[in-house]
This record gives sequence, structure tokens and C-alpha cells, in this order.
Amino acid sequence: MREEIINVQHLSYQYPSGDLALSDINLSIGMGERIAVMGSNGAGKSTFFLNLNGVLKAQTGGIYYRGKKVGSKELKELRRHVGFVFQDADSQIIASTVEAEVAFGPMNLKLPREEIKKRVTQALEYMDLQSYRQRPPHYLSGGEKKRVSIADIIAMQSEVILFDEPAAALDPLSVDLLEQVLAGLSREGKTLLISTHDVDFAYRWAERIVVFDGGKILADGSPLEVFLQEKVLKQAHLKKPQMLKVYETLSERGLIEPESYPKEAGELAKAMIG
Amino acid sequence: MRRHKRHSHGVTSIDFYACQSRLRRWNGCYKVCSVAVILTVCLVLDNPWASVLVILTMGLINLRGNGVSLCIYLGLLKIPIAFLMLGSLAVAFGISSYPVGSMSISLHWFYLYITRETLIKALQLFLRAMGAVSVLYLLALSTPASELAAVLRSMHMPKLLTELMHMIYRFIFILMDVQQDMKTAAVSRLGDADFKTSCTTFGQIGGNLLILSLKKANTYYDAMVSRGYEGDFPIWEEQKSVKVWQIILLGLYIGVLLAVAVISK
Repeated sequence: MREEIINVQHLSYQYPSGDLALSDINLSIGMGERIAVMGSNGAGKSTFFLNLNGVLKAQTGGIYYRGKKVGSKELKELRRHVGFVFQDADSQIIASTVEAEVAFGPMNLKLPREEIKKRVTQALEYMDLQSYRQRPPHYLSGGEKKRVSIADIIAMQSEVILFDEPAAALDPLSVDLLEQVLAGLSREGKTLLISTHDVDFAYRWAERIVVFDGGKILADGSPLEVFLQEKVLKQAHLKKPQMLKVYETLSERGLIEPESYPKEAGELAKAMIG
Repeated sequence: MRRHKRHSHGVTSIDFYACQSRLRRWNGCYKVCSVAVILTVCLVLDNPWASVLVILTMGLINLRGNGVSLCIYLGLLKIPIAFLMLGSLAVAFGISSYPVGSMSISLHWFYLYITRETLIKALQLFLRAMGAVSVLYLLALSTPASELAAVLRSMHMPKLLTELMHMIYRFIFILMDVQQDMKTAAVSRLGDADFKTSCTTFGQIGGNLLILSLKKANTYYDAMVSRGYEGDFPIWEEQKSVKVWQIILLGLYIGVLLAVAVISK
């Protein structure tokens, strides 16, 4: 069993307009977990992330970070440990050069100048952005901006990173790069939560899938557990991953090893009979 | 460097060149101060030869150091030149009721005349103003607005203003992009069919931009808070030291300008 890093208990969040965005959310997140958060638009994923990150403060229920309840005083601490990569990089990038942008978070942490410089350099190297250091963000492409917005969070050295639909509006090459970065972060023991509509990606990448529907958690389990529940898929308007469909078809005809559930083309080839 | 998508002219192109200028690595304060000094010297000397020297050297630095092509640079100078020409013409010509000066044109009721003195004066004025324009272009083409804000900050300008400068600099480009997208979308639906439709479209885009800005402002605020913003907007500034040879270079340049002015007198 993994050490628990975040525990959400009976969390409900209501927007000032009166819309109940989250109701009675209970979730325990372990260190280093790879979680895909799924659900249709308006299901409450982004609101949930904003709560986890400490930007929004829930009216009832609470968040426990490493066993300690997060009160108004600890919100700052929560933001330090939980980073949030926004969906639209243009709504996140605030500074007028890439370097200044990546330094914004560490500067808010009131770190010494040398440390900030070190972290900025590391984060830029991590995202392969060294040559963009002095550039203003408005001369970058969409994929490059996304990389900057991820470098922003890497420089803060958060233990938990939330990605809000990171692959939206990225070209295939940028998506590949993104997946490499996600794999790297995961290897380093970061806890990653990604909200996504891409069932194939979720099936392949995640260890655990949490499905939101109408502000509630509809399902929570391994990708296989979630995607085998037809009822859940129907209610949350999710499609079955292609790889799972292929497996099921082959399984009906007895062409694949039972219970093999391949996740990638390579695994599929190995599991085929004959 | 990627050129800004569509509007690569005017303000955007000045910003573009400022960002990729080789002089960008130089200390911002040094650039602002030297521009102020050269500008003052050029204006105070009021010497045509010194002015020509300033125009030529600044032009050379703008072309070489700031990497602006001759064609673009002339394009940038076009508007100030047009204004200065008109202004200088007004100085060169005088009005009189009888023919005077070295040349006069009869316009039935009065005479337009030019004398040698007014001509020289107009030329001198033109060169002096052109020198000043070239010097200011040197600053504009080598220093992005964010760096200017940093200089103002180090001169103890109120923090509120410099923070605003930074944010406006960032958001003006987003606003321009969004406006351009909306305009394209409107034009693709014949939003510019005739003058009246164009006006309506323009108004609607303006209104939409306002609503969108308000909405975006919320997202921005959330994004800033999520990275630890607590009401104090810290701005990372690269520390660029002033080299001794740069100061000597400026001194020498001013010396040469003064020498030219003295000799030509």
C-alpha cells in the first residue's frame, strides 16, 4: 500500500452563483500515483483541481495533505506542494520572457536568487527550452507555450502535479513529447493527476481512473475496472478504449490469451495466439 | 525566432526586433542613459554635421546591432520623415506681399518666398529632428517594453505602474491575437460585406473582447494564485552588468560629436 499524500473528505463546493459544482467527494491519493480524471465537460473536474490546489476553498468537507487538515492558513502550503498546469497555456503565462515566467512561481516561494536561477535552468532543461530563455511568450507556438507552462510548475518542485487537459490543441509531436515528460515525472516519484477526454490515453497511461459525473465521483478504480463497467461508460458518456475493444473482439474468437488485456500494440502482438 | 502570426508590422515588428536585437544583452539602464545623453547632445549642439553623424551612426547600429533590414528601417523612418518634411517646409517658406528672398512664387494675392537663411534653418531643423528620431529608434529597437519597465522600476517609479506596464505588455499581444481571430471569423461569415455591416462587426468584436477579458482575468487570477501569488507581483530581472568599454565607447562617441561640431563652426 502506498503512503497517502492527499485525502479528500466529504468535499462540497458551491460557486457563488449557486451552482453546486462538487458534492461529497471522497478520495484518497497515494504518493506517486498516476491518476486520470475523466468525465464530460462541466462534470466538476476543473473545480476539483482548483480545490486540490488550494485556489478554491470548499464550503464543507476538507482536504488533508499528508494527514494534516488544510485550513485557511495551510492553503499557501498546499499551493506550494500541489502544482496546477492550466488547460490554456495563454491563461497561465504571465511574464514577458520565458525565463521570467518560469521564475514567477519560485519567486513567490521567496527563494534566494541563486536558487531561483538554478531551478529555472533545471526546469528549462527538463522541457528542452534553454534556447527560448529570453524570448517573449507571444512569439512561441502553442506546443512551446504548453512546455513553458509545464516548466512553470517543474520549477516549483511540487510533489503533486495537476494537468487540466494537457493534450488539448496540441499537435501529435507535442503530444508525444508531453507523454515523455509525464513518464519522466512519474519515474521521479511525482504524483500526477490528469484530466482528459482521451480514453485511449487514460487506458494506456493511468494506474487509476476517477470518473466524475454531475459533481460526484461515479467510478474510481483501475482502468480495467472502470472501462469494463458498461453502466459507468454510458452515464459518463465515455467510449471504450480501442485496445480494449480489439481485445474483446479477439477474445470472442479465441485469438488472444484470456485475461491478457494488452494496453499497447506491442503487448497486443505478444498476447495474440497463433 | 517565430515571427508573430499575422500582424508583423508597426508596433509588433518594433517589438519583434527589440526581442532579437544583439544589443538586448546590454544593460537596460545603460541603454536608456546613453540614449538620453546622445539625444541631449544632438539637440543642444544643433549642428547639421553632428546631426548627420548621429543619423548615420544610429542607422548603422540599428541595421547591424539591432538586425533590422534596410527596407524595414526606411519603412519605420517613413512616417517621421513625412512629418518632419512638412514641418521643415513650413519653416523654409515665408509669406510676403511683395517679392523678396532668393526665390519667390507669386500666388496672386501674396508671394511665397524662400531665403538662403530660412532654407538652411529648415535643413538644420530637419537634420536635428531626424537625429533625435534615429536615437529614439535605437532605444525602441533594442529594448523591449518589459525591459524599459525594469529600468523605470530601478529609477523608483511606483511599483503599481511598472507592474501594470509588465502586464499590459503581455496582454496586449493576447488581446491582439484574439481580436484578429474574431475578425477573421467575422470576415469569413461576410461580416465586412458593406460599410454598415463592418461597423456593426467592429462594435460587436469590441464588446466581445471586453466580456472575454473579464472572463480571462478570472482565469489569470486563479493561475497566479495557484503559483503562490499573494498580492505582490514579483518580476524576474536578468542582471546585466555595464562593461567599462561600453562607457568608454559612449564617452568617445560624445567626444567625436563635440569635435565635429567645433570643427565645422
